[in-house]
Amino acid sequence: MDKKRILIVDDEPSFTRMVKLYLEKTNDYEVTEENDGAKSIATARACRPDLILLDVIMPGCDGGDVVAQLRNDGDLKKVPVIFLTATMSQEGMKARGGAIAGFPVVVKPVDAKKLIKQIEKSLS
Amino acid sequence: MANNDESNNGKKLRVLLIEDSPTCAALARAQLAEAGKDAFEVTVADCLAKGLEQLSAGGVEVVLLDLTLPDCWGLDTFLRVHQHAPHVPVVVMSGMDDQELALRTVHEGAQDYLVKGRDDGSLMVRAIQYGVERQRLRQELAREQNLLRTLLDSVPDRIYFKDRQSRFLLISRAMARLFHLDSPEQAQGKTDFDFFTEEHARQAFADEQRILQSGEPVLDKVEKETFAGGRSLWALTSKLPLRTQDGEIVGTFGVSKDITSLKLLEEELAQERTFLRAVIDAIPDQIYVKDIGGRFTDANRATARSLDVASADELVGRCDFDFFPADVAAGFAAEERAVLDGILPALHRESAIAFKDGQTRWIATTKVPLRDSQGRIIGLVGINNDVTERKRAEDQLHDLNFDLARSQNELLGVLDDLKKSHADLKAAQMQLIEAEKLESVGRIAAGVAHEVKNPLAILLMGIDYLESEPSAADPGVAMILKDMRDAVHRGDAIVRGLLDFSAVRKLDLEPTDLNAIIDKSLLLVRHELVKANLTAVRHFADGLPPVMIDSIKMQQVFVNLFMNAVHAMKQEGTLTVTTRVRTVTDVAHNPGERDADRLRAGELMVEAQVDDTGHGVAADKITKVFDPFFTTKPTGSGTGLGLTVVKKIIELHGGQIQLMNRPEGGVRVVVALRAGSGRVGDSPIGGSGID
Repeated sequence: MDKKRILIVDDEPSFTRMVKLYLEKTNDYEVTEENDGAKSIATARACRPDLILLDVIMPGCDGGDVVAQLRNDGDLKKVPVIFLTATMSQEGMKARGGAIAGFPVVVKPVDAKKLIKQIEKSLS
Repeated sequence: MANNDESNNGKKLRVLLIEDSPTCAALARAQLAEAGKDAFEVTVADCLAKGLEQLSAGGVEVVLLDLTLPDCWGLDTFLRVHQHAPHVPVVVMSGMDDQELALRTVHEGAQDYLVKGRDDGSLMVRAIQYGVERQRLRQELAREQNLLRTLLDSVPDRIYFKDRQSRFLLISRAMARLFHLDSPEQAQGKTDFDFFTEEHARQAFADEQRILQSGEPVLDKVEKETFAGGRSLWALTSKLPLRTQDGEIVGTFGVSKDITSLKLLEEELAQERTFLRAVIDAIPDQIYVKDIGGRFTDANRATARSLDVASADELVGRCDFDFFPADVAAGFAAEERAVLDGILPALHRESAIAFKDGQTRWIATTKVPLRDSQGRIIGLVGINNDVTERKRAEDQLHDLNFDLARSQNELLGVLDDLKKSHADLKAAQMQLIEAEKLESVGRIAAGVAHEVKNPLAILLMGIDYLESEPSAADPGVAMILKDMRDAVHRGDAIVRGLLDFSAVRKLDLEPTDLNAIIDKSLLLVRHELVKANLTAVRHFADGLPPVMIDSIKMQQVFVNLFMNAVHAMKQEGTLTVTTRVRTVTDVAHNPGERDADRLRAGELMVEAQVDDTGHGVAADKITKVFDPFFTTKPTGSGTGLGLTVVKKIIELHGGQIQLMNRPEGGVRVVVALRAGSGRVGDSPIGGSGID
């Protein structure tokens, strides 16, 4: 089975490294890290991910903006996105709507197993 | 006269014969004895000196005197005798038939002049007798003149005699003094015009002319006399016609008494009386005098007015029975009898009196006995004062005082209310401050969450990674990793709680069946209940009215409450949930409650009651259960935010939540929500959302 390529966009390098280590240890995933939201589209074009893990709040650029650009990108617009958030409650998500609405959300801190479950669900 | 009486009584007239010739003396004695029928007792002196001696000795009533004596001669002899005893009548006997001498002696005061030898004695006796009588009359006249003189000189009244032309003939010394004359004689020939003003003099003159014409006196006329100098006085004057013995009117005489001081006194008295009367009449009190029979003898105007008569004169002779109902008048009469008997004076006694017109008025009465100059009670003086208005005012005052006292009580009540309101406001302020704190906590929580959760995410991911390593098979490593994972979850739970708390701002209200929400919440905790071996009992009311609530948040509320119950009971126990409808009756409001949140009597409430059989809450802690970060759970088991969030959600719904210990043990929580129309909850702590 081919490894799934996953792009994780988060301004927290320790977190992206930890996720990469864990996911790649399963041998099912190949993970690309991007810690600068503004560069995420470029990185995505380069690595052609099967799924993007996207932090909501990042300095200078938030997940909502990124997802909007992804959806305008012909090559990337069908890539599934899972939002990662540290602050957002379920209600906050619902209320926010717009760009984030409709995407699965994983609230940090998240169990690795729960994360994989969500990834598998999004990829299927 | 006395002499005459004595002679009539047979007493002899004592005659001193002064005669140096014994022959003549003997002759005279004989003649007197014969002609005088022994009426004389004769003593003889043969010279002047002896004669005078005899006179000095006294008792001589008449002197028979020879002018030619050894020690004196002629007219001198008479003069010396007359001078020596002027009141003793002297009959001169002389050998000299000297007409001139005779006239001179008689002129000087001798009673008669007899020539010796021409008389048989009868002439001599007659001369003696006449002389004595004449002397007596003269003395009498002198005495009367003296009386008149004394009277005129000493009476203080003015006495005067005038002729037909009103010229003064004689005036008293007092009158002379009044006229500023040195002696009364100076007034002779003068008239009133010389002393008084013309006006007065003319008036007096007219009066006197009238008297002269009519013969009618003017008696006790009070007149004002004004003197030429302007001085005036009041006189009580009587003027009468002055008649001769024949009755012919030859002038007038009069007596005037100066009554100026009396008159002034009288005027003063009259003035005082007028003043007093004016005062008595002007005084609003009724003043009256009654005789011992209870009949009015005098009264002032106020009395007349009160008894409805035109003037006080109409009251005289009438009594209370003429003006008051019989029983009232009888009461007065009895009272007055007591006053008249001297038993008791009525002093300012106030009583309600029924008048004949049907009115009842309050009268203050004072009645005292009236006494005459001898101190005998001859009636009474009464003073009535209508005090109806004052009584009325007193009553009003009394009422006002009463009202005032009541108002004061009301004010005190209001003050209490205000104090309470103040306390409430203070509590509300505290609550607001508290809310502000919570809001701050929420903001901080939201801000912090991001910064805290990211490290937690790193840790958790790290723990997951390590657990997948072979070294994790070591029991010690496994235990450490598990503890670390628990620690991360605990930190996460706290941050999530803070986020929940800060996220409660807006409600998504829909009419909802509260029973259904409770059922869903029970489902969510079913696993915990089973694990702790607890029984859930539901007492749901049928047909609950819907409540306007945010289902998810309300679910959060009940899950929280149920989890608290589960933690309180640990093992074995019963969770009982009861729902019911209640109508608000008492509206005691909670401190800090907003007006809009305040329940009103008659409002329909849906209540849910959650009872557990756990350990309850310590009495000193029960007031703090809704405070943030307050927890009774062991460290690590609770965030201390559960009930804080619960309370906030309920309050956002305009509902109420109460937590108490059940008497039989365990905790009871009652959530009350308005039935029907809920309230769209705008957050009491406001603030912009943190999304």
